[in-house]
Amino acid sequence: MNKIMIDKHDIESDDFANSAENLKTSGKYLLGIVAADERVLNSKFSVRYFFGGTEGIEEYCVKTDESFRSISKICPAAKMYEREIYDLFGLLPEGHPDLRPLMLYPENWDSSVHPLRKDYNGVIPEMKKYGGYKFKEVLGEGIFNVLVGPVHAGIIEPGHFRFSLAGEPVLQLEIRHFWKHRGIEKVCEGKDFKETLDIISKISGDNGVNIAISYLEAAESILNIEITERAKYIRVILAELERMWNYVRDVAWIFMDIGFALPAQNLFGLQEELMRLNKNLSGHRFLFNSLTVGGVNLDLDSAKLKAIEETLKKVENIIKDSEEFILSSSSVLDRLEFTGKINKKTAEELSLCGISARASELPRDTRAEFPYLIYGRLNLKPYILDGGDVFARTALRIKEIYLSKKIISDLSSNLPEGNIAVSFESKPEAYNYAVGNSETSRGNAFFYIMADDKGKIFRLKYIDPSFRIWPSIQYGVLGNIIADFPLINKSLNLSYAGNDM
Amino acid sequence: MFLKKLLFKNKTQDIAPESGTGSVLIKGDELKRSVDKVFGRSLFVRLVDSGSCNACETELSALSNPYYDLERFGVKFVASPKHADVLIVTGCLTRNMLNPLLKTYENIPSPKFVITAGDCTETGGPFKDSYSVCGPVSKYLNAVIHVKGCPPEPEAVVSAFLKFMDIVKASAAC
Repeated sequence: MNKIMIDKHDIESDDFANSAENLKTSGKYLLGIVAADERVLNSKFSVRYFFGGTEGIEEYCVKTDESFRSISKICPAAKMYEREIYDLFGLLPEGHPDLRPLMLYPENWDSSVHPLRKDYNGVIPEMKKYGGYKFKEVLGEGIFNVLVGPVHAGIIEPGHFRFSLAGEPVLQLEIRHFWKHRGIEKVCEGKDFKETLDIISKISGDNGVNIAISYLEAAESILNIEITERAKYIRVILAELERMWNYVRDVAWIFMDIGFALPAQNLFGLQEELMRLNKNLSGHRFLFNSLTVGGVNLDLDSAKLKAIEETLKKVENIIKDSEEFILSSSSVLDRLEFTGKINKKTAEELSLCGISARASELPRDTRAEFPYLIYGRLNLKPYILDGGDVFARTALRIKEIYLSKKIISDLSSNLPEGNIAVSFESKPEAYNYAVGNSETSRGNAFFYIMADDKGKIFRLKYIDPSFRIWPSIQYGVLGNIIADFPLINKSLNLSYAGNDM
Repeated sequence: MFLKKLLFKNKTQDIAPESGTGSVLIKGDELKRSVDKVFGRSLFVRLVDSGSCNACETELSALSNPYYDLERFGVKFVASPKHADVLIVTGCLTRNMLNPLLKTYENIPSPKFVITAGDCTETGGPFKDSYSVCGPVSKYLNAVIHVKGCPPEPEAVVSAFLKFMDIVKASAAC
């Protein structure tokens, strides 16, 4: 089992705030902050900081009663996590520059109620206005604001965007998210590992398989389950199929947003074929319910493998055309190059992941950094580009489609024999915890799971790549004209559902 | 030059082969005839996602791909609720989305109709007991039709529109 080894440290909050600077300069980056109410164990709350780096994952655990030192000023990526902890647990991050409520809106929620505390009595505050939310202001002659959302013009998820402009260029963009906050972490508490799998598959439907893989990495590690080789191969094939249709759709939308309907429709057609392939393989267009604790629910027989192979041929042809299209058309390049540039420095400070990081020169790909399933044996080297712009992100997606195609082809011709699932009786050790990682089409998906004394979920924390990447768009749009925002947004193509949880 | 090549190389049939989509065409033709008659050739739809996992939105977007191309049957997703005849709602309805949902509904001119799509809108799905969910949608809005599925497949949505037209026609007749 390639269980992720974590280097664990217990540390005082003040000491940690002082050493955070050193962690950063040594090349480590923040993977996430996980708070938990562990008063039943040691009458303290815990705040765990997970850092990633070339030597694996490091964990720093701070115990507290009511507050901890904010590291947002040293490590801007921590800002959103600390606001979240303040909302859901009521633990004060001392010295945080912006403590406005995040997911619990003062427009309908009493801020003294913290639903993730274990002593929360389940009473839901009455639906009324408890306070207001103050947006940042940009003042000056000729400056105006454009407010967009939460209900947008197309078939998109809800989010509120506030642009401050002088003429066409954007001076500031402020995003208010969490309209879709469904309280998934709380819903999972007290459920068993199989029930939880169904719930977490619906965090962000278009990345259901890859998110489930991350969850299963953690869950199977707690339960001490070793899945069969065949199941591992099938999981990877399904993960890459999902990644592929996601990227095909993403590139299609980029063409759509620059007004090139023809290649866009070709790619939308291809997305449909890939989703029909999914249905053929699993009975579901999004591959829902394909994975299970201990293995997979579907086997790939020779007919299914042949269907995969045929679709992959089409993928290659159409993607080749699209690539040629991008590289040979000056008007396409004109829209994509230098648009929505996210600098390497910004990407580092915000701990970006996935395509967004790799387009800004950071070699972050969970499949290579913290390998899981059989990715370690594939010797993947993350593709990186240094443009940080829409073009770089588009070009990387096309490269990734070829890579996914290669991985699927290689694995399906060497599928090992064996069972697809193992049965298990094991119960997790009480208050044992584990983390899981996987690379979704957007970046690293991170799970932290702690079991309780009855073998159910005590605390589950999921960090979606979109949660990390959303703040970066506020930097990416600066100086761009507002008409390019949809294009920049599509080039990142982040999930609202995954972010809002 | 390349555009030309691509234009001639890919005929519509190649992008969306007819085989397997026949039932969509049959349903679509019927849908178009009804829409032409009852809604003066265009049925405008506004979507509000009240807390889905985004799979429902992906499937509703797929309705515009060359396989379904819903617009040829006269059904169009529009940007403003002021232009819409129908409100489609997806998701379990979170507390934070209640106000935007109701406001969007208020801004649709009468006569207006609600269609709910996806299992979450009916039951709240796996999130129904959450502290931040106030749904299901039926607590606040009366839907003419509910489209089942997690998520509903594009063809199911086309069928739902067809059924919706039947109901509208029946109520207009009496």
